[in-house]
Amino acid sequence: MADKQPVVERHVAEEEGEDSAAAASAAAGEEEDTGAQVAPIVRLEEVAVTTGEEDEDSLLDMKAKLYRFDKDGNQWKERGTGTVKLLKHKENGKVRLVMRQAKTLKICANHLVISTTKMQEHAGSDKSCVWHAADFADGEVKDEMFAIRFGSVENCKKFKDLVDEIAESLAQKEGDESEEGSATAGLLEKLGVSETKPQESSAKEEPTDAGKETETTAVVTPAE
Amino acid sequence: MALPNQGTVDYPSFKLVIVGDGGTGKTTFVKRHLTGEFEKKYEPTIGVEVHPLDFTTNCGKIRFYCWDTAGQEKFGGLRDGYYIHGQCAIIMFDVTSRLTYKNVPTWHRDLCRVCENIPIVLCGNKVDVKNRQVKAKQVTFHRKKNLQYYEISAKSNYNFEKPFLYLARKLAGDANIHFVEAVALKPPEIVLDLAMQQQHEAELAAAAAQPLPDDDDDLVE
Repeated sequence: MADKQPVVERHVAEEEGEDSAAAASAAAGEEEDTGAQVAPIVRLEEVAVTTGEEDEDSLLDMKAKLYRFDKDGNQWKERGTGTVKLLKHKENGKVRLVMRQAKTLKICANHLVISTTKMQEHAGSDKSCVWHAADFADGEVKDEMFAIRFGSVENCKKFKDLVDEIAESLAQKEGDESEEGSATAGLLEKLGVSETKPQESSAKEEPTDAGKETETTAVVTPAE
Repeated sequence: MALPNQGTVDYPSFKLVIVGDGGTGKTTFVKRHLTGEFEKKYEPTIGVEVHPLDFTTNCGKIRFYCWDTAGQEKFGGLRDGYYIHGQCAIIMFDVTSRLTYKNVPTWHRDLCRVCENIPIVLCGNKVDVKNRQVKAKQVTFHRKKNLQYYEISAKSNYNFEKPFLYLARKLAGDANIHFVEAVALKPPEIVLDLAMQQQHEAELAAAAAQPLPDDDDDLVE
């Protein structure tokens, strides 16, 4: 096969006059159908599309890369690159984490944030954190360890703080329910925790705003 | 297409045959779609491995049974037997290796001997690599043989969904098919006892010390 094909070069040159970007993509064969006419073998009808997220509000929506820990190989493996969301149910208030792969929109993580959910820092990167979850992405419950990496330290902190805040408020609620009497101990404990996170309450009041696309400047003002 | 180890599904499924020289990235490409991982280590496929790959479209779910075949001649096994009843195909070559492109006509001929008139996508993989040996404009085979061509990268995910989208459109004769969000089912509630929790924490501490792969790349889209 000859390396230079005059026919193709002419083809590219023709298109360059119009739009070099289009020419480049045409040269790469993108979006241009050069395939043979083949008879279709199935007939597919348009269906109503449901995301499963209809009854939820988005508290957070950011681009990220997700990894799962492969215990056998003792290593992190990529799980998907796309959008991670924290979704709060409009009626029961439960919050879950849903992440979808870009382009194919497949689900790479889907689990509830529960009282024991705890985001830990990742040793090698301050844009990443790790946690454990009983994940339902594949339609069956699997024990998984996840690591997530964001484009910036700020986004990671925003995500981590919000998850931790949700888990802590669940833990507190569970504590209140189980030991109504000795509320003082729990209260003291909660005070100790909330001291380190002064801006939490304000973040909680505007959850849907945080759900817009990742303006990092907003929340990241730690009061010293 | 019922297979011994995979039950049939109640939505349309297609047999997709993936061929091309050894080391061009067929298995890595399929794995990328299956689990999200990017496997760097090369382990030649022996014979064939069949993986079901589901996609959610505006016309419902569809499934490709991906017949990921051995590229290396010595591991080729049944060859023609793998192609039989193939309903669509991907021919893969590696843009960093001229030889793999030179062999495309052979793969195409062998495939077409068994599968007549099926939609075929030619994929030039590894376009993320700086020193390409086969430039985009040097790829001409698809024009002669009426194949669709995509430059892809299993590593960066560049165009990684396009081959499946194209094949779905052709198989259904509907140019408007597109991928939509898969339904995020309600995850069940799991209650953890203290012992489990502690075990998870210990495992997590160990995992957190392991580096993430590809820490150098960034999240640009």
